[in-house]
Amino acid sequence: MHHIYCPYCEETREEEEYSYTGEAHIERPKDPASITDEAWGDYLFFRSNPRGIHHEMWFHAAGCRRYFNATRDTHSYQIHETYKMGELPTITAKTIAADTLAAQQGDAS
Amino acid sequence: MSQVNRLATGGRIDRAKPMSFTFNGKTYQGFDGDTLASAMLANGVGIVGRSFKYSRARGILGHGAEEPNALMQLHKGNATVPNPRATQVELFDGLTATSTNGWPNAEFDIMQWVGIIGGKLMPPGFYYKTFMAPQKMWMTYEKFIRKAAGFGKLSLEPDPDTYDKLNVHCDVMVVGAGPAGLAAALEAGRSGKRVIIVDEQNEFGGTLLGSKQTVDGVDAAAWAEQATSELAGMANVTAMPRTTAFGYYDHNFLCALERRTDHIGPVALAGTRQRVHRIRAHQVVLATGAIERPLVFGNNDLPGIMLANSVSTYINRYAVVPGQRCVVMTTNDSGYQTALDIQSAGRTVVAVVDSRHAPDGRLVEAAKVAGIQVMAGHGVIEAQGGKKVTGAIVAPLDEAGDKVTGAGKTLSCDLIAVAGGWSPVVHLSCHTGSRPVWQEDVAGFVPGPTIQNQHLAGAVAGEYGLSQALNAGIQAGATAAGTECAQVFNCGDESEGAAQALYLVPHTKPISRAPKQFVDFQNDVTAAGIELAAREGFQSIEHVKRYTAMGFGTDQGKTGNVNGMAIVAKALNKSIAETGTTIFRPAYTPVTFGAIGGRDIGVLLDPARHTAMHPWHVANGAEFENVGQWKRPWYFPQAGETMQQTLNRECLAVRNSVGMLDASTLGKIDIQGKDAREFLNRVYTNAWTKLAPGKCRYGLMLKEDGMIFDDGVTACLSDHHFLMTTTSGGAAAVLAWLELWHQTEWPELDVYFTSVTDQWATCSFAGPNSRKVLEKLCTDVDLSAEAMKFMDYREGTVAGIKSRIFRISFTGELSFEVNVPADQGHYMWQKLMEAGEEFGITPYGTESMHVLRAEKGFIIAGQDTDGSMTPYDCLMGWAVGKTKTFSFLGERSFTRPDTARADRKQLVGLKPKDPTVVIPEGSQIVMDPNQPIPMDMMGHVTSSYWSECLGHGIAMGTVKGGLARMGETVYCPLADGRVLAAEICSPVFYDPKGDHHHD
Amino acid sequence: MTSVSTNFSAGDMMESPLHHHVAHTNHSDAGIVMKEDKFRGHLNLRGNPEDTAFTSAVESVLGVALPITANTSVRSGDTVAYWLCPNEWLLIVASGTQGQVEADLRLAVANKGADQHIAITDISSGQTLVNLSGSGVAELLQKSTVYDCHVSNFPVGKVVQTTFAKTGTTMCKLEDGSMDLVIRRSFSDYFFLWLQDASEEYGLQIA
Repeated sequence: MHHIYCPYCEETREEEEYSYTGEAHIERPKDPASITDEAWGDYLFFRSNPRGIHHEMWFHAAGCRRYFNATRDTHSYQIHETYKMGELPTITAKTIAADTLAAQQGDAS
Repeated sequence: MSQVNRLATGGRIDRAKPMSFTFNGKTYQGFDGDTLASAMLANGVGIVGRSFKYSRARGILGHGAEEPNALMQLHKGNATVPNPRATQVELFDGLTATSTNGWPNAEFDIMQWVGIIGGKLMPPGFYYKTFMAPQKMWMTYEKFIRKAAGFGKLSLEPDPDTYDKLNVHCDVMVVGAGPAGLAAALEAGRSGKRVIIVDEQNEFGGTLLGSKQTVDGVDAAAWAEQATSELAGMANVTAMPRTTAFGYYDHNFLCALERRTDHIGPVALAGTRQRVHRIRAHQVVLATGAIERPLVFGNNDLPGIMLANSVSTYINRYAVVPGQRCVVMTTNDSGYQTALDIQSAGRTVVAVVDSRHAPDGRLVEAAKVAGIQVMAGHGVIEAQGGKKVTGAIVAPLDEAGDKVTGAGKTLSCDLIAVAGGWSPVVHLSCHTGSRPVWQEDVAGFVPGPTIQNQHLAGAVAGEYGLSQALNAGIQAGATAAGTECAQVFNCGDESEGAAQALYLVPHTKPISRAPKQFVDFQNDVTAAGIELAAREGFQSIEHVKRYTAMGFGTDQGKTGNVNGMAIVAKALNKSIAETGTTIFRPAYTPVTFGAIGGRDIGVLLDPARHTAMHPWHVANGAEFENVGQWKRPWYFPQAGETMQQTLNRECLAVRNSVGMLDASTLGKIDIQGKDAREFLNRVYTNAWTKLAPGKCRYGLMLKEDGMIFDDGVTACLSDHHFLMTTTSGGAAAVLAWLELWHQTEWPELDVYFTSVTDQWATCSFAGPNSRKVLEKLCTDVDLSAEAMKFMDYREGTVAGIKSRIFRISFTGELSFEVNVPADQGHYMWQKLMEAGEEFGITPYGTESMHVLRAEKGFIIAGQDTDGSMTPYDCLMGWAVGKTKTFSFLGERSFTRPDTARADRKQLVGLKPKDPTVVIPEGSQIVMDPNQPIPMDMMGHVTSSYWSECLGHGIAMGTVKGGLARMGETVYCPLADGRVLAAEICSPVFYDPKGDHHHD
Repeated sequence: MTSVSTNFSAGDMMESPLHHHVAHTNHSDAGIVMKEDKFRGHLNLRGNPEDTAFTSAVESVLGVALPITANTSVRSGDTVAYWLCPNEWLLIVASGTQGQVEADLRLAVANKGADQHIAITDISSGQTLVNLSGSGVAELLQKSTVYDCHVSNFPVGKVVQTTFAKTGTTMCKLEDGSMDLVIRRSFSDYFFLWLQDASEEYGLQIA
């Protein structure tokens, strides 16, 4: 059972209050008519499915009814951060890899 | 029979409170404070059940959750409970228990001969290998296999008890109230934090209760009592005995089962029998202790072979010595404590057989001083006996414990206490996905790294000494509570000699020929079986587990796993760290389904939503249909009517005069804002730019893949204010959908959505006389056909109530919907019924509504569509705007090759060739009923009814390329052998020109 | 057809969601007391909290400033405003005044020249206000909601939207320690069944 911080309610709430709504930062093509079937198909159906850091949308269904984003590890289920719609994550697979590398180098030195 | 094994003094039992109980039909006596197991042992009960696969006689091995053998069938009739361990069942007067298997009984069991004769023939994978072919016989084999296998039985009657759940929250959750847990809870409790401490036993203390050690000079058990009473005095601490933390889930969420009345009687006299606590903790202290490992040697499953620590516990806590002449087999110092306990209880210790060649610890010396024979460098390689241990064959071993180095001799005994080292109880730590790690100095797996706020204290972390556990506990409590603590406990000299890791006691014969050496008692997994699995090529420990069933079932490998893993490692020439371990899953010990269900049963299983008019429907005999969570009137039968007669009457009333439907359940969304129109343009297929105030329009909502998602009528209340309706089941999903697009893609649009589904009660009345009914109650709106046209909306006063009036129709007849605030819905419904009485106004339900709309070919999103139908597939291209500037949701997908295919399944009308026939909904449609099976499926029937007004059956269905097949005949072969023929036609069966609703 | 009317007298047009659960008690000292605060005006208000013209217009009508902090409420006489999300509030006003309050709000916002993008929706009939008090309430809430209602996490005046059994609720803690719950009309019968069941061990009084 996840325990998820809602950036609008500013509280950590039980998973029962939320529903998961898929990968975050999938933008609707600005002019659908002008793009190829393949590009449209990518937008419709194809999602990343990483083992590890994933940016995803959650809906606070039983709470404030706002959508927000979470940076979550799909393996450990650790939620690194949640952030409001329109904002960008501060933690990504890249930043974590960099942090890990820095830590290793720190150990080595 | 008297309690032959009961000591005259000592123990934590109340001899003033004798209790009688029955086991397998015989009556015995025990005392308050006994477990069923301790009482059985006190009475000399040896065989408690038969083993799973070989039907071997089995006795009690342990004293707690680790017990693999003593699974009981408790109580009788509807209160019967399958499979609790006798070691965890508190005795009460009148308790009845039987073995869960053994036929005709556990004492004399026929299946054991199958086990003996077939034992060699039942290697791991036996069932897979033997019953593979022919495949069709599997169903037959399975019946017999299931009859022979398995444990307890459920009652088929309703459970007489109730169960519930609490959602609880705390700062610090402590699992286990042994020394480490008590110390942790004390420290966290003193800090003022909200603390919960649970323990599965009836009293707190764990090993302290059976210990002869002292804590800061106080007897261990007395210290436990002091600690428990201090905790009880703290308002911020919830202390729950008889409560098992059975699952540890993500983000510090735990579930614990509190057994509230199981110790009192078979059924709860008041309140709930068991309660699940759903605990969200900020910090978790696992102080779950360790389980002693049995030793693996020949016939090590005979009744009378017990864990040494359990023997000590029975003596010290329950005043029961389960034997007269005891051999202790040990690989470490703890077995010596058991030998001392047996001796001080006045029974004979034949010998302590120690696999170590030079044991020299404090307890070893104490045993020698007490005159106990110590056989160093020896092992019990085989037990002797039939239904009970009669002797132990003891032989010298090499230093590594790999080989028997000399002749064995037989020691006569009736109890073999085995001390094979300790396995930390890592189960809970595994539940969140953390993999245990092998720790060589502990000779066991300890909890691995985790992202939970988890702290370990005591034996679970390999800290086995009492002062170690207490000090680790108090520090864990401090860390979890965010405090600092300088307290240090002193428990006297606890020094121990080094232990030997011995996972399989060698025999003079090779493993495959030696007498069975059991690793997992509950699943009858032997060392030979594990070795065979390795020989057959299983390398992954997870595969070995599944092939041999080691660690399966209610047991979850509590006693057997580590020995098993070590045997696998050795067979594969790897280290235990390399082969690793399987992980444990919830539940730690089994949880009743009743507790999992809690109060979410019966009428509380799923909320039933009611409209304001619901009491009227009930009073007027409605039968109800579930639509989502709503209870909607399905039809209103009158005395003596069949359902079909009711539907015919209701439908004809609408077609000929007037009928009324409660349409309050339709989803309603209030939309306000200057960009509301633009938003509607984007989410609906059709255009909303020009819809004038006072007008309504039907809209289709698509997902981005172009498939119909929902539909409904939206009214323009004013230029910036709309009222959208959705299907009854789709309301929440549609609102979430609108919010999704507004919040994520188009936040710049000024629009707000508010659910008003519950705010408005809707009376929908239809039929040629519907206007006349409304005219009687409404005088401030011109309802004439000229003034209020089809798809018009007005505000007005109906029966004195300010109402929203819509002229819309789902029946094809002249029809109005009056919406009033739901507080007045029941009143309005009655006023309309009164006003309509002169026209024979007839309440109708969802079934007639379905017939009426199907006669008109109107779809029901979710019935005639299934998420794979475009508007064009449903002949609803008319509802798609062709010149909209914004590419509305789903539009782009119309030109995807798959969406544009001509042979897609398309919705068509189906007219049965035999007019008396109603084709069953869901029937498959084929073109040629005589083709061989599997037939080429062309589609299926989505809606089908008897139309009384047309005098024949009507149906709608999807057919591949159906729109190009008008007039063709299709067939529906039914399961009963009938083949129904139908003609593909327009789905509009009634009033195709639409004259009626425009009247 | 002749229809059957149910406990409904002419002229009595209004039925609250829990109207059919009449006052009674099954216990001499019931641990749970339920009281429905019937027919209060419930208005859903949407607007931009950063637009001071909007917030001051609302304040001029309500007599108190809208709560801007998450999960809080303000109270003034018969009027209470719950924070629901950063741009949404529930206003609960005296019975029958919701129409006037809505009109006053719209007028005040227009007069202030505020950003015209607001929404006000009358939902008085769609939900009801229920007060739960008594010695058993804390445990009853533990049975019913996943939210931590302990005083350390749920001070007086706090507002929380969360689950209640298998439906939802908006809860507000009152000065006297009791809890106000907003319950949707269509779920009110389920709510009551749940309440009745969960209260059994404490005793239930309908005030």
